[in-house]
Amino acid sequence: MTTLWDTTGTEVVKALAAERRAGGAVAAGLVLTLVCVADESQVDAAEVAATVAASQHPCRMLLVVRRNVTASESRLDADVTIGGRLGPGEAVVLRMNGRLGLHAESVVLPLLAPDAPVVTWWYGAPPDLIAYDPLGVLAGRRITDVHNAADPLAALRTRATDYEPGDTDLAWSRVTPWRSVLAGAYDTADGTVSRATVRGADKSASAALLAAWIGSRLDCDVELEPSDGPGISLAQLEVNGGGDRGGTTITVARNGDQAGLLSRTGQPDRIMPLRRDERGDLLAEELRRLDDDPVYATSLGHFAGIPNLANRPRGRRHIWRDPAERAAAQ
Amino acid sequence: MTIDEGVLRRLPQNPLRDPRDRRLPRIPDPCALVVFGVTGDLARKKLIPAIYDLSNRGLLPSGFALLGFARRDWDHGEFEELAREAAQKGARTPWRPEAWARLADAVRFVPGSFDDDDAFDTLAQTLVDLENSHGIGGNAAFYLSIPPAAFPTVLKQMERTGMASNRQAGGWRRVVVEKPFGHDLASGRELNKLVDRVFTPADVYRIDHYLGKETVQNLLALRFANTFFEPIWNSHYVDSVQITMAEDVGIGTRAGFYDSAGAARDVLQNHLLQLLALTAMEEPVSFDAESLRTEKKKVLEAISLPGDLQSGTVRGRYTQGWLAGERVKGYLDEQDVPADSRTETYAAVRLNVNTRRWGGVPFYLRTGKRLPRRVTEIAVLLQKAPHLPFAATDTTELGNNQLVIRVQPDEGMTLRFGSKVPGSAMEVRDVSMDFLYGAAFTEGSPEAYERLILDVLLGDATLFPRNEEVEASWRVIDPIETFWAEGGMPDGYRAGEWGPASADEMLARDGRGWRRP
Repeated sequence: MTTLWDTTGTEVVKALAAERRAGGAVAAGLVLTLVCVADESQVDAAEVAATVAASQHPCRMLLVVRRNVTASESRLDADVTIGGRLGPGEAVVLRMNGRLGLHAESVVLPLLAPDAPVVTWWYGAPPDLIAYDPLGVLAGRRITDVHNAADPLAALRTRATDYEPGDTDLAWSRVTPWRSVLAGAYDTADGTVSRATVRGADKSASAALLAAWIGSRLDCDVELEPSDGPGISLAQLEVNGGGDRGGTTITVARNGDQAGLLSRTGQPDRIMPLRRDERGDLLAEELRRLDDDPVYATSLGHFAGIPNLANRPRGRRHIWRDPAERAAAQ
Repeated sequence: MTIDEGVLRRLPQNPLRDPRDRRLPRIPDPCALVVFGVTGDLARKKLIPAIYDLSNRGLLPSGFALLGFARRDWDHGEFEELAREAAQKGARTPWRPEAWARLADAVRFVPGSFDDDDAFDTLAQTLVDLENSHGIGGNAAFYLSIPPAAFPTVLKQMERTGMASNRQAGGWRRVVVEKPFGHDLASGRELNKLVDRVFTPADVYRIDHYLGKETVQNLLALRFANTFFEPIWNSHYVDSVQITMAEDVGIGTRAGFYDSAGAARDVLQNHLLQLLALTAMEEPVSFDAESLRTEKKKVLEAISLPGDLQSGTVRGRYTQGWLAGERVKGYLDEQDVPADSRTETYAAVRLNVNTRRWGGVPFYLRTGKRLPRRVTEIAVLLQKAPHLPFAATDTTELGNNQLVIRVQPDEGMTLRFGSKVPGSAMEVRDVSMDFLYGAAFTEGSPEAYERLILDVLLGDATLFPRNEEVEASWRVIDPIETFWAEGGMPDGYRAGEWGPASADEMLARDGRGWRRP
């Protein structure tokens, strides 16, 4: 591991190359570059999550920490590790002070793995518009986490208005276990769904997305009930029977951290695996597929009331926004 | 690479040398190396350290002398000190004072300017003296690290004093010239005629230091020593070739030279066309100098320009921006750049090679300053499979298979191909299989100059372009320069970006995109 204090972007590039040489064969073969954006207070948690993801997908990890953008002096500190505590691949932690933080892409661009996809993940609250952050503009896939915003539902709505194919949110990966159990249970059901219920923590973006997914796929009313949480505690589908058959109700309720209870009318209850994933596993799931997710787009659009998100054109361009100017204006 | 026949014929076969004895290195004849412009950057940073490294590795003959010629009021001691500092600073091999001491004894300096007759007479006399004192034989190589404008003067002096004549010297006399070889085809031809007249054509060595790099020579080994690659190295499988030489530095203080040259004359005409030649050439029948240069000349003469130069070429100029965490100024704000300059700092062009092997395959060449990172690479992109049996959603992330030769930094090669993502579903994404040389990460490549200087002293001309290659390269660039001279300003791009938008548009028109290196 190499630590560089008060350094320049060129020195970081050289240090990474030198580490690769010292690291040997472990440094060959990258499939993507993962750019993580975090605050100083979030760095440890972000490192843990990114390391888990990096173990599953050999990648170059660039952790960008912007400190104190309004400081007068610009300064760059960097930590370069290969195959060490930050996973089996290459990892560079870049701490930027001052206005350099507004030009983070100038340091990040030369460090991107050649011709490999770039994924940017914001640990904390997403930027108001992804176009404000150049690190989001240069990425082919953008991963936000509205659960870390002050108002997750408002942030999710902003994600919908700002959506472009290639955006995704960890709230969506959090509901994958629920969706797979529900879809599996509905495989053998006979009839259409008249009503659905989702019970989740107040202001839970995951619950809202699950409800939106059910509503958009099954074209039915979905009731969202608040509960103590955490996360989603119950999802229920009421299926109409056809003709003289009675209806069935399919209920999936959380039963501990890793399991759920699947109840169907007229059948014994069954315990199904229902993971509650850590952030690292969620991130790894997002990295498994780097193409668009049209189902997410439809669900997000259904939640926010904006149709046709999946067909939005691509091509974000960076919009310059200077926090110093905004602070002065306020 | 075998030695020129001419050299072999002069010497009787040394019984101590067996071609199967691969431990004994090839050592040049006793000789002197005269460096004109020895106070310049090139001499201090590359040539003198290279001489030290060669000496340290035991590759210089026992009778060897280094002479400097420059307009300074120094004696041998002062020059030796300068040389020692330069060698110590830039040496690739470990610094050993006793290794330098061996060289120091044979270091000489001749002060004078290029039009000073007496200085050249002194130089000639010094060479004769060294024959007696250090046994250098009648052999000398003259390295011209001087501005092109000074060539005619220096060459006339060499002619006048007889230093250029093999016959008069009783040994070989060679000249080494650095790029640029002229300003356009006409001036290039004139320069060639002049140099070839003063020294015989076989004794002129034009340096393109890229050809001395390990990976560039590996390209030949890769193509012609293996069975893997030759069958796909043609228009049936190759979709396009992208050759990139990107620098992150600006022009610094070299506006005087750069503003009249521009990116196309500085890099495209020599390095990039040489790389194209090595990528596209046919297999030579053997690896001697003549066969290799014949193939390179063939392919350079088969290059054709785009029919519409407006849509097939791009020129750009960097404006201010942020690069590697620092703010840098734009080209027009650099020192000594005139306000009405129309020089490009970025050039991109689409070329075709009209041979059966390459018909229809575009070769995209680009070079530029103040790009995000310093990288030189040759990327051969293969066509996509005509039919994929996978579901459409399984292969959305699959790009073109690629074979990428990284010339610098991280010398080596990458193969990019599709592979299944671990998991229960069948998803295919691109993975890179890397081969990395273990060379030290350096700014330039001193090894290139070591190899090339050694080849000059050995008389091995394989890695030096012949004048026909230089002229063929000018024939490609001249029409582009003429077309650009009538056009307007170059397109702007911010320092720290990968070039102007018009470069992306040029490829987008062909349904392709630039690789991000």
